[in-house]
Amino acid sequence: MDLDLNVRKEGDHAVLEVGGEIDVYTAPKLREKLIELVSEGSYHIVVDLEKVDFLDSTGLGVLVGGLKRVRNHEGTLQLVCTQEKILKIFRITGLTKVFPIHTSVADAVASSE
Amino acid sequence: MLPAEAPRRDQATVRLTFPPEAQLLGTVRLVVGMVARKAGVDEEGIEDLKVAVSETCAVAVTDLAWAGLDTPIELDVMLESDRFGIEVRDRAPVDQFAAKGGAIDGGELDDRQFGLALVGALVDDIASETLEDGDGHRTRFWMRHRADTGPPPPL
Repeated sequence: MDLDLNVRKEGDHAVLEVGGEIDVYTAPKLREKLIELVSEGSYHIVVDLEKVDFLDSTGLGVLVGGLKRVRNHEGTLQLVCTQEKILKIFRITGLTKVFPIHTSVADAVASSE
Repeated sequence: MLPAEAPRRDQATVRLTFPPEAQLLGTVRLVVGMVARKAGVDEEGIEDLKVAVSETCAVAVTDLAWAGLDTPIELDVMLESDRFGIEVRDRAPVDQFAAKGGAIDGGELDDRQFGLALVGALVDDIASETLEDGDGHRTRFWMRHRADTGPPPPL
């Protein structure tokens, strides 16, 4: 079990594409990547969850932590997700009210430009 | 929490015993998902079960790590005519969570409480209690078969 993380730039945004399973074992890797991005000056981040097969509360905590970090720099953290099983986790935890969730990276980037 | 309704044992039980290592949780999810699919649980229910099992086991793994213990975690998958159950038992000291002040790793959220709350939202019935000898925890939850599915086939 592993977590694939790939970063690319789209304008002012860093797009972090995540693949695999985010749980208590792999979430620290995601946390480190988000910290790294912010420390490098990327304050507008889009996290693409379309290739995520599993997400638990640890992963949610890491995303909330990332959101706090970018907000400290007046930045944004937006999500891309269309998978019902992942969206359900955000809905039942109330985090759909915290994160802007988009259906594509292009929508996410356009929404904050 | 009050004890969950005890298993009736009128169907099969699948039992896993595994060391408290976070990297094994993916395998545990895989096994539980396969048993649930074989038992006739629908795909949405399987996804809910995977999250619930993973969260419950992650709490046990974290509590045992905090206590410096490597005693195995036991997990029962209980199949009954109208419901699918999970029971997780660990040997983590009961009073250590209060001693460490609630936060597992100083992270952004209280992962332990948040995780168990998520389980509660996904399953029909959950309860957690201290083991009979006072040294460890038992967390049990059930998922009832949806109205449009029949009883599970035999394993």
